[in-house]
Amino acid sequence: MLNTIDTSFDSCIKCTVCTTRCPVAEVNPDYPGPKQAGPDGERLRIKNPALYDEALQHCTNCKRCEVACPSGVHVGTVIQLAKARHGGFKKGPREFILSHTDMMGSLSTPAAPVVNIATQLKPVKKLLDKVFGIDQRQTLPKYTHQTFRRWFQQQKAQQNRFDRKISFFHGCFTNYNDPTVGKHLVAVLNAMNIGVTLLKKEKCCGVPLIANGFFDKARKNAELNMGQFADSLADSECVLATEPSCAMTLRDEYPEVLHVDNHAIKERILFASAFITREFAKGNKPDMTPVNLRVAYHSPCHLIKQGGVIHTMELLNSIPGLEVIMLDQKCCGMSGTYGFKKENYQTSQNIGQGVFDQIEALNVDYVVTDCESCKMQIEMNTAHKVLHPLTLMAQSLA
Amino acid sequence: MNYDVIVIGGGLAGLTGAIRCAEAGLKTVVISAGESALAFASGAIDVFGIEQDNSFVECPFAAIRHLPSTHPYQKVGAASLQQGLTFFTEQMAAAGIQLSNFGQQNHGRLTALGAIRPAWLSQEGADSLPLLAPAEGIRRVAIINIAGFRDFQPALMAAGMKRHPGFSEAEFILADIKTATLNINTRNAYELRSLELARTLKRDLFSQPNGINILSSALQKAAGNADLVVIPSVLAVEGGNELIRQLETLTGLRICEVATLPPSLPGMRMASALKQRFRQLGGMFLEGDQVLCGCFAENRLSSVKTRLNPDMPISASHFILATGSFFSQGLASDRHHLSEPVFGLDVDAPDSRDQWSDHRFMDGKPHNLSHFGINTSEQLNPYRNGQKIHNLYCAGAVLNGFNPVQEASSGGVAIGTGWFAANRIIATMPQAEETC
Repeated sequence: MLNTIDTSFDSCIKCTVCTTRCPVAEVNPDYPGPKQAGPDGERLRIKNPALYDEALQHCTNCKRCEVACPSGVHVGTVIQLAKARHGGFKKGPREFILSHTDMMGSLSTPAAPVVNIATQLKPVKKLLDKVFGIDQRQTLPKYTHQTFRRWFQQQKAQQNRFDRKISFFHGCFTNYNDPTVGKHLVAVLNAMNIGVTLLKKEKCCGVPLIANGFFDKARKNAELNMGQFADSLADSECVLATEPSCAMTLRDEYPEVLHVDNHAIKERILFASAFITREFAKGNKPDMTPVNLRVAYHSPCHLIKQGGVIHTMELLNSIPGLEVIMLDQKCCGMSGTYGFKKENYQTSQNIGQGVFDQIEALNVDYVVTDCESCKMQIEMNTAHKVLHPLTLMAQSLA
Repeated sequence: MNYDVIVIGGGLAGLTGAIRCAEAGLKTVVISAGESALAFASGAIDVFGIEQDNSFVECPFAAIRHLPSTHPYQKVGAASLQQGLTFFTEQMAAAGIQLSNFGQQNHGRLTALGAIRPAWLSQEGADSLPLLAPAEGIRRVAIINIAGFRDFQPALMAAGMKRHPGFSEAEFILADIKTATLNINTRNAYELRSLELARTLKRDLFSQPNGINILSSALQKAAGNADLVVIPSVLAVEGGNELIRQLETLTGLRICEVATLPPSLPGMRMASALKQRFRQLGGMFLEGDQVLCGCFAENRLSSVKTRLNPDMPISASHFILATGSFFSQGLASDRHHLSEPVFGLDVDAPDSRDQWSDHRFMDGKPHNLSHFGINTSEQLNPYRNGQKIHNLYCAGAVLNGFNPVQEASSGGVAIGTGWFAANRIIATMPQAEETC
């Protein structure tokens, strides 16, 4: 029989650079770091599955190891796949609740006002802490009563007036929790004479499902989304996402982690700032008025991973009057669902401290970041409000 | 997207050039395919330390005048090299790292194997020894490890030092400081690596009000009345040099930290200081992406394509290629050819594989392949299919005509050529503000 084990992890030259950059290894001595958890451990696991190390549970899938690796090893993916293969995920009710973001969203939005009040009550938070292990010190995300899709219904006629069209993959957060960024994307693109359409149906990109070990469900979602993309790309230029983790998952994790082939359309799935700056380069730049603010920009891990920080910075720097200070690229520690889990709370806070300290030391009007999860963490731990780059751009539109 | 300058490679050469460009007000991006070789380096800068006959060079700037015309130093010139090193020293100081030298002379720095390597600039925590008489005034050497740390072996270092005539008569004190003495809690083998130790010390020892005193008395006890105390660089990444200075004050001892097996904390310290400076000056550091190819027209490079966003080429008016040598994949080889993998630039190398290396691996003679690299004009412009590329410059280990290890010249070549390339670019850009 042919030996079909993927041994690309053996391009690792054991230089330890990944471990020097791992935010978890920096604060949690129980985690041996990506080198040992990834390529080193993989050799052992191939030899004997019993050598699987439970410490892999501490990985947040931030992907910083892959960004730092000088040998092109997909360290983070090796770790995720090992966790899946060796039953390294604890898949309890809490993991189900936290990761099935679209299911929870569709259940919660109709009763949003009640749910939002309830999830802020101390006894409820205590109960969630005791029963599920969702840390009571975390602020739970609120739900919106009017989903983004419902709001968009009223925009359809307006959007059809544009010759050019893109499809917007809004993701769970924009649809169920806070539609602001989606509305701002529509405003910005319209100002650039581009209309927006939605996919007939979309499912969660899969990033929280992968992080909690629901690979089969993630793969099902991926297949459904890929089918939707193929349909919508027939009469729209590309698919845009405003959430870095969604964009990374649709582009990179589908083939690498879920083995869902996307090569035929990968180049047409784009992070919103990448698309917008490409339009700028072609001369399609809307009129913008000064936004006289001083802001600190925090780069989300999954945007760094897809090489997208350069596009967001280009977008921010094009806004007149805006002073942008780029923070040292450290992880905020939230990592989607990771920071909500009781056992990870302290690690998550310790990782983020480097970001919080930098922000508090600066005298800025706002913090800016592309990622909703980073936004939650920063707002919870600093005195600053966090805005999406598209919100600032929408503000700047004449 | 359009930049003034695209620098390919985020190591010593690339970042020096990029910082210079950003400082002059040019819109600069560095594209770096992962961490550079700096994280494995000593954190000291050599300029030119060893002659062809293996003798040490005391005055590098005098010695480089006699180098062949193909050597990068002859293209850059001694004056530019010196300006570059001054600039580099200032930039490191601005990022909080003081580099020291011995006037206009090379000094000796100790390696973890007990060798003495010539260097031009060293960090304060690494003690500088007189190059030709390193043992001057040193009769007793204490080499002290933290018990269990495997990437540093005091006995091995002592054996190496003893081979030096000056140290052959010296008394060596070898000792370990127990983790229990320092009240640090290491439960796993992986916590006994340089960076993990630094983190553990920060958490368990230096966070205590008298933490540094516990360490200093342990050192004093272990070192006795040694004239020189050597410890592995495991105390801290940021602020590591200040810690050594504090320990010297507290103990009254002369203490020297030496870089260990990777990760090297003094090297990491230098790498993060350079990145910090570049960002402070408004530069964009794009890490984890890789330049796949370029678009050339009329002997000029107009844009580059990267792996992560291949359909969004980044254009610029000038480019610096600082991708390093074979280790950093700036040069590639197969069984028959040597190549430059990014743009397919002309590489200066003999066709016959027999001439790439000597049959004897370690007989003290340099191998030809360490001289191989990109052939450039006097202005460091490379050639592609024999045609000079006017707006592309090469810097650092990707260049041909020098042997970084045999000459002990890697740092100076990286900084000198990075600086030179940046200044050539600034000279042609009207919008650059002249600050130097």
